[in-house]
Amino acid sequence: MFEHEGLSKEFEFVTKESEIKHIGDSIKNTSLKMQTIAFALIQGDQDTVGQITKECLEDGITANEILDNGLLNGMSIVGVKFRDNIIFVPEVLIAARAMKAGMAHIEPILSESGIEPPGKVIMGTVKGDLHDIGKNLCIMMLRGAGFTVYDLGVDTSPEDFADGFEEYQPDIIGMSALLTTTMPNMGRTIQYFEDIGLRDEVRLMVGGAPVTQEFADEMGADAYGESAIDAVEKAKELILLLKDLKN
Amino acid sequence: MKTMTKKERVFSALNRQEVDRPPVANPTSVATVEMMDLVDAPFPEACRSAELNARLAATEITEFDFDSIAPYFSIIQESSAIGCDMQWEQKDNWPTVRMSNPIWQSASDVKVPKDFLEHKDTKVIIDSIKILRKEFGNDIPIIGKTMGPWTLAYHVFGVEKFLLGTIDNPSETKLALEKLKEFTYLFGEAQIDAGADILTVPDHATGDLVSGQYYKTFLQELHTEMAENFKVPLILHICGQTVDRMPAIAETGMHAFHFDSKNKPQEAMNAVQNKIALVGNINNPETLYSKTTTDVKKEVFECLNAGVQIIAPECAIPLKTKSENLIAITEGVSDWISEHNKN
Repeated sequence: MFEHEGLSKEFEFVTKESEIKHIGDSIKNTSLKMQTIAFALIQGDQDTVGQITKECLEDGITANEILDNGLLNGMSIVGVKFRDNIIFVPEVLIAARAMKAGMAHIEPILSESGIEPPGKVIMGTVKGDLHDIGKNLCIMMLRGAGFTVYDLGVDTSPEDFADGFEEYQPDIIGMSALLTTTMPNMGRTIQYFEDIGLRDEVRLMVGGAPVTQEFADEMGADAYGESAIDAVEKAKELILLLKDLKN
Repeated sequence: MKTMTKKERVFSALNRQEVDRPPVANPTSVATVEMMDLVDAPFPEACRSAELNARLAATEITEFDFDSIAPYFSIIQESSAIGCDMQWEQKDNWPTVRMSNPIWQSASDVKVPKDFLEHKDTKVIIDSIKILRKEFGNDIPIIGKTMGPWTLAYHVFGVEKFLLGTIDNPSETKLALEKLKEFTYLFGEAQIDAGADILTVPDHATGDLVSGQYYKTFLQELHTEMAENFKVPLILHICGQTVDRMPAIAETGMHAFHFDSKNKPQEAMNAVQNKIALVGNINNPETLYSKTTTDVKKEVFECLNAGVQIIAPECAIPLKTKSENLIAITEGVSDWISEHNKN
């Protein structure tokens, strides 16, 4: 299928027709080096990802090409494998670490070039909740999809979210909760944004193990991410809606 | 069949033997804000004072007529005694370990503090069990709880660091678990000495985080060893999707597995092949927390129709669960028996 045998085998885990076309088209015309980066990222091989990224930049390949054709292609397959329970959180964590090793070389170049990311997101686990693995996975996946993400950490009060909004001016605010006792704090945060007149300035997205679409709707959230992968899809949809609104 | 005592009923169910009626018991926690107000034993004090703890735990019998008492309401008592950074919270939220500030870096750091069992936050459970034993006698089973090494590892190393370590250095992970199990034994034995009849062992190697293979690689042997060494029946508790690891759990020799509503009762029963009793799995965040008594009873029926041996909420119940929904669990069992007898 592809020049890189290992990546071809990894691609066999992609079974949905639309994804086979989308990811397959994105990989098929890329160079062996880009495919090697994608494969190493899936394997969580941070040294190889970092090394080849550096070599590619020295060879004159653009930072954008490495991001799109190497790192993001790898992350797309990681996302599919995670969603389909082929891999789990530890495997995603090492892939994210490998992504970071590549980004360490290309991020400064991308920042200098002034290219806009697809969207800006701030994320936090809500007040009273110290669990951060779900939030961190969402952040990794969103960054993997090119979003700029600011992490507000855990135990984030409505006021902290509002401060984060003022500081970073995000398109989307993501809220996470693991506990049934803390998930109502998502609704309180949404209400707080209403109270201070900022509700229409930003899209509010929620997620976490006990959270459901029904609960998200009741609270008045703009989107519910069932998983980290779903959160990326919902974030992309919200950004498209925002663009339509601006047009 | 003659009417059983609550203890006889729970023990028979744990041994997958005949019962006069299926027992209702939550091996994790049934503490609610409503009950805290009723008996004036609010969080976090009820997690830190034996007297308040016992008073709140007793409502499981006095208000809901469940078949057991479980006085350990959270998952952090040992971690506090070990020295983890704690956030004790208020009445309407569970106390938590600040896992982003881990206290240990590697297996070599794992050491049992000299005062582990004398620490206020372990002693509270031990003393509460003594109070409850004295108050309720021997016919009501008391379920103690001692954290497994996997859950303790999240608390002392931090979740991400620990999970990354499972890939970077699995031998180190195994060594850490081997050392952490010492806490499981110490606290569990102390609760048995105080009067606990059964122990819950929460060890959150959940399918929401790790694969079924992880359970086999890192935990199955440790859990088998625990089932052999502890002198009382053990109930393993793991939240989330677990059906892929249930066949391995069923081989450990533990008496029961407390399972989450993310796994269908019939699917779970098929997975364990009658090698272990199942406890569960009424949904917490939707059904018990926000739906009606009819919805609760529907789930009770689904569990009983599948053959689940002990009916329980899937995990520690939401603190703001309405009492009527908890009472509906016991009523659901009675309704099912009536319907069953008619047929």
